[in-house]
Amino acid sequence: MAAAEPRRLSLGALVHGSGGHIAGWRHPLARPDGQLDFAFHAELARTLERGRFDAIFVADVVAIWGGQLDSLSRTGRAEHFEPLTLLSGLSLVTEHIGLVATATTTYNHPFHIARKFASLDHLSHGRAGWNIVTSVVPLEAANFGRAEHLEHELRYARAAEFVEVVRELWDSFDDGANVRDKAEARYYDPARLRTPHHRGEHFTVRGPLNISRPPQGHPVLFQAGASPTGRDFAARYGEVLFTTAYTLDAARADYAHAKAAAAGRGRDPRHVLVWPGLSPLVASTEAEARARVAELDALVHDDVARRLVQDNIGDLDLTGYPLDGPVPDIPPSNRSKSRRDLLLELARRDELTIRQLALRMSGGAIVAGTPEQVADHIETWFRAEAADGFNISFPYLPGPAEDFVDQVVPILQRRGLLPTEYAGGTLRENLGLPRPAALPRRPDAEVRNPVVPRRKPSTESAR
Amino acid sequence: MSRQLHLNAFLKPPGEYLAAWRHPDTTAAAGVDLAAVLGFVRTAERARFDAVFLADLVGVPLESQDVLSRVSVVNDSLEPTTLLGALAAATTRIGLIATASTTYNEPYHLARTFASLDHISGGRAGWNVVTSLNDGEALNFGLDAHLDHATRYARAEEFFDVVAGLWDSFEDDAFVHDQESGIYFDETKLHALDHHGRHLSVAGPLNIARPPQGRPVIVQAGASEAGKAFAARVAEVIFSGQRDLAKAREFSAEIKQRAKDLGRDPDHIKVLPALSTIVGRTEAEAREKHERLRELLPPQVALADVAYWLGGFDLSRYPLDGPLPELPESNQSKAGQAHIYEAARRDNLTIRQLAQRVTDNAGTVVGTPAQIADHIETWFREGAADGFNVIFPYLPGTLDDFADLVIPELRRRGIFRTEYEGTTLREHLGLPRPANRWAAT
Repeated sequence: MAAAEPRRLSLGALVHGSGGHIAGWRHPLARPDGQLDFAFHAELARTLERGRFDAIFVADVVAIWGGQLDSLSRTGRAEHFEPLTLLSGLSLVTEHIGLVATATTTYNHPFHIARKFASLDHLSHGRAGWNIVTSVVPLEAANFGRAEHLEHELRYARAAEFVEVVRELWDSFDDGANVRDKAEARYYDPARLRTPHHRGEHFTVRGPLNISRPPQGHPVLFQAGASPTGRDFAARYGEVLFTTAYTLDAARADYAHAKAAAAGRGRDPRHVLVWPGLSPLVASTEAEARARVAELDALVHDDVARRLVQDNIGDLDLTGYPLDGPVPDIPPSNRSKSRRDLLLELARRDELTIRQLALRMSGGAIVAGTPEQVADHIETWFRAEAADGFNISFPYLPGPAEDFVDQVVPILQRRGLLPTEYAGGTLRENLGLPRPAALPRRPDAEVRNPVVPRRKPSTESAR
Repeated sequence: MSRQLHLNAFLKPPGEYLAAWRHPDTTAAAGVDLAAVLGFVRTAERARFDAVFLADLVGVPLESQDVLSRVSVVNDSLEPTTLLGALAAATTRIGLIATASTTYNEPYHLARTFASLDHISGGRAGWNVVTSLNDGEALNFGLDAHLDHATRYARAEEFFDVVAGLWDSFEDDAFVHDQESGIYFDETKLHALDHHGRHLSVAGPLNIARPPQGRPVIVQAGASEAGKAFAARVAEVIFSGQRDLAKAREFSAEIKQRAKDLGRDPDHIKVLPALSTIVGRTEAEAREKHERLRELLPPQVALADVAYWLGGFDLSRYPLDGPLPELPESNQSKAGQAHIYEAARRDNLTIRQLAQRVTDNAGTVVGTPAQIADHIETWFREGAADGFNVIFPYLPGTLDDFADLVIPELRRRGIFRTEYEGTTLREHLGLPRPANRWAAT
């Protein structure tokens, strides 16, 4: 691999208005009602941009985030903005930071997704990213007319075709195809239009997309698949991969696997960035930071703790099991497999009680300490090739985000890990990812559009 | 205060006219240029329009490349709800209305998107409900042709009920965010929809608090029998297409009566006919602007439009500046506009002249500010309109002219606001905030 271009550290922030810790909203220093406050999000986005974050990431579930009202009603997981609507608003109050939204391939249609992300990319002048998920929450199915969630392998088969269609749609018009020649009365050059005419197993989409090619060519593709199928999917399509390892060794293994798998799929591993999760909490002393974590953990209600374990592991009922007793044996399910295995392994290895396991999950990968300690963690993981960057979730908001930006980022910059200015104008440029060329033309797609008169009055369809 | 006009700015950057993008004063790429669109929206807000409105098609119409490659909007526009998210952040008062199809969407996504937009904008969202009838759209969603009329409307009725039900998932005061007790929301105020209907099955609840307006303002434009029945039941703003005052008055009266028969207050339906204008300081100046615009229409585009008006009769094999051939019998029955063709033949129009006349299908009113204000005032006072859905042939020119020249004239006549009545679109329109169906009364 050429050494010409040094690895660069990248930072993304997972933004959830009520905070990343499940009880974060209850902390006295948190904004409990920030979740649907656009001004609050705008301020946060500007703070992150001041800290030279590469991207803001908005996760998503197309349902309330938990089926049991007793525990759900104690969390901020029943109200959230639709991510693209929020990000298009944020595109206007920021200039540099990338705007990444989750959208599921299981309950969407590729034409809408291609169009919305292309629109966000145009609106933001090349700052859009799409976190591709296949959905793991069974509650989503019932909002889309399905009795059950699609089976794991089928979800990924659909996802792969979905992404192929979306990329074809983004490439409908070549770069510069829209010549907009007023004198010659040519808005676009028909020779540079490629109507996809996609006919596949899951989708039939004629195209073309009704918008010019996105400024980035394709918005940056994020992915978090961790099962064998998910990892292979990520190796084919993902450009930034979210991983969930809690230890340096596990993160290094994930990292090596991701890069090798991408290379195995014929891709340049430098163009696949690996971002483990990180929930930093900084204070002037380590003890103070740890006390802050303990405060947060104490705010986790018993029902919430029990449900956190249930919902993350699978369809099991922990009612009757003592919260301070061991995690029971779990039968297999159709849920996200990798996450269940990870958590069970963690519980066995560290001999965790149900409550202790819940608290491991309540705030993600918490690293609490002084600014130097948090910077050390980042540097260690980066240099050990456990991370190219981090998907940072702040336990509550806005304090820990401001502290990170004001106290940790300057250290990273002093250490030469993080540049002081944005490298470029687009998210791709800032992440050091190449702008994709248009996909090769498919010979069978070169069908000339026949002349077909419109059948119905355009007066209504134009509305 | 006397009854006031409602004005909606129908933005189709760079303009409604098919050749607007060729106009020397337009940004050809305005459909994807946020800065350009922001300029238009700020003008509309400064002029105190009730709302801006973005139309939508989820696909390029089926048409020859020679025609399509000469037009802009259908090929190169931002997705409306995504664009409105940005516009919400850039404006403070003006309403934000987008079209979304009930045929090619999922109600859960749509309810969420408009609820989010309503929250981000502080209660300024509106949804123009369309059923879509373009085959170019159908082909992007796995269908060979658009659904038949009856099926589309049956789905639309059910779709609307689902969306409205999802918006009521949480009662207005459900979210308490009480740090002390740890109660984020009151679970007794959450109501799952559990809808299982003929076309849709949606469990709910929606994952967002009730919109600030209770529900975004519902806009509708269908003029068919099914469309009118739907409008009478649910629409709060109706974009109508009548060009004749008597017919417009009839339409408005009919819709309001039908709404009344359904137990609704007819004042809570605002009928806004389309109004396309080109304004000049003198009539001659206005006509000159109109003529300059018409000259920009490529003949290929004009002929395609004529062919469609004539039920598929293709004039492209006849000389453009020659006389109109006789319309074949078979097309006369299919073509709703056969009478226009016959009139053009009697007037000895050339094919090019006919094309110019037909393509100007918005029925543009061309004149001085006083003439246009007269038109508006007459329709308004005679019960043909509660306001207008103002169409701009090219942007920003015709919008600037309307804002700078016509609106001051309307204010002098005491029929248009100088300041917004409130902060939400409902307040601007004088529409009540609907109660949540679950709320104890």
